[in-house]
Amino acid sequence: MSYRIPIGPYHPALEEPYKLELICDGETVTDAVMNVGFNFRGIEYLAERRNYLQGITLVERVCGICSNVHSLSFCQAVEQLNGAQPPERALHIRVVLAELERLHSHFLWSGIAAKLIGFKTIFMACFTLREKVMDALSAISGNRVNYGMNRIGGVNRDIADPQAVLNILDEMEQGIAKTIIPIFLNDKTVASRCKGVGILSREHANAMGAVGPLARASGIVQDMRKAAPYAAYDRFQFNVPVETAGDVQARLVVHALEMMESCRILRQAIATLPSGPIHTTPPTAAKFKVPAGTAISRVEAPRGEVLYQVTSNGTDIPERVRVRTPTFMNMATVRATVLGQELADAPLIQASCDPCYSCTDR
Amino acid sequence: MTTETVDFASTLQSLGLGDGWVWNKGSWWLAPPDATDVRATAQRMIQLDARFVAITAIERADKEIRIDYQWDLDGRLLSFVCATHDGKIPTIADLCPAADWVERETHEYFSVEFTGRKTTAPLMTRAGDPLGINLHTGVAK
Repeated sequence: MSYRIPIGPYHPALEEPYKLELICDGETVTDAVMNVGFNFRGIEYLAERRNYLQGITLVERVCGICSNVHSLSFCQAVEQLNGAQPPERALHIRVVLAELERLHSHFLWSGIAAKLIGFKTIFMACFTLREKVMDALSAISGNRVNYGMNRIGGVNRDIADPQAVLNILDEMEQGIAKTIIPIFLNDKTVASRCKGVGILSREHANAMGAVGPLARASGIVQDMRKAAPYAAYDRFQFNVPVETAGDVQARLVVHALEMMESCRILRQAIATLPSGPIHTTPPTAAKFKVPAGTAISRVEAPRGEVLYQVTSNGTDIPERVRVRTPTFMNMATVRATVLGQELADAPLIQASCDPCYSCTDR
Repeated sequence: MTTETVDFASTLQSLGLGDGWVWNKGSWWLAPPDATDVRATAQRMIQLDARFVAITAIERADKEIRIDYQWDLDGRLLSFVCATHDGKIPTIADLCPAADWVERETHEYFSVEFTGRKTTAPLMTRAGDPLGINLHTGVAK
């Protein structure tokens, strides 16, 4: 006999609005129906009715976790249109912010995943480390979320104390290397909940356009920081961790290894932080007008590729702002990954794609 | 990062689209004088193991909608510029499942009808909500 089990529209684990209806035969999931849009705010519509400076503030509110990548992508697209070239120091600062944001997002997801697995000790460990990242972000930008760092032609604030960022990296790397990675890789409890669970094959991931750690855990080598470098990423050495199992455990491992790579990038970005200005000279009164044309910017957000396409008609208000977020692509894979799985595993499986509903709905 | 590097020039030739590409501000663009066959292009991109990235709809002065199809080929962003005819354009969701949600939201935002779809269920809005909610001009249906 089939049962229809609704989860949501307020997800109990992720604490975000989203509805998943699972059709089960006994304990086995035989189908799933997803409903999104509960967070729909019409960001694209709003961005096309505000000037470019207001647009930066607006798009930073697409998401509370990866807010920086939205303003970064938007500014990069506009910089292509108006020819503004951010100074080298600003490009390094953009990398520092982006990697700190990736770290706190990955710690957040790892902690939530650990909690769903039933491993609350790791949840606490992840959130303890995440607080240090949040402190660093707060020290640099003055904010724990919505940092307000990006501007067209550079960044708004300098890093006053680069050494303070380096100081937290030792502790983070130690925590990741000695606690998180060994447990995600070798712990029997984690393996029993995650190994072979919620498999997304490489073929299916590609067909669904999956991006970010979800795709990389299914064997797809894809990272905008390497494939189409932006900011100062082409100056730094780092690896793109890839796993091929495509299960929940592979996603855990990819996230953990990526945190180590973020620390590695941060060390290089801070060590080679050049002197000089952090933004281009403040423009004249014509600053609000952007030459006509279309530009596209792609950034590797914590959850994968973000795309901004900005079309200008020569005025101070963009004609079109297209925002394609990573979770918009990744969410649709959930149906495939829960089919044939145990009902009890469904919350973990759907959370393992690291969904952000604010990004999805915009 | 990649183990294989795609020969871009050869790839474009294999697409039958060797000429007309323009690199401009973040993407390779192809805007042929006649409308690109979106389904044939999608099939070619899938054969090349390209990754579907996005569909971007932009209003035109003649009330039709410009539709940009974006694919990633080995890190290169390829944008195929197409347009609706009488507000319609063929679906590619049956060829490329990744396009399903994008077509559904484009239908909601710009009232574009993707022909050949069995259904176009609401994604961001709810059943009965008006279509074309992102249109600058015209009245949402």
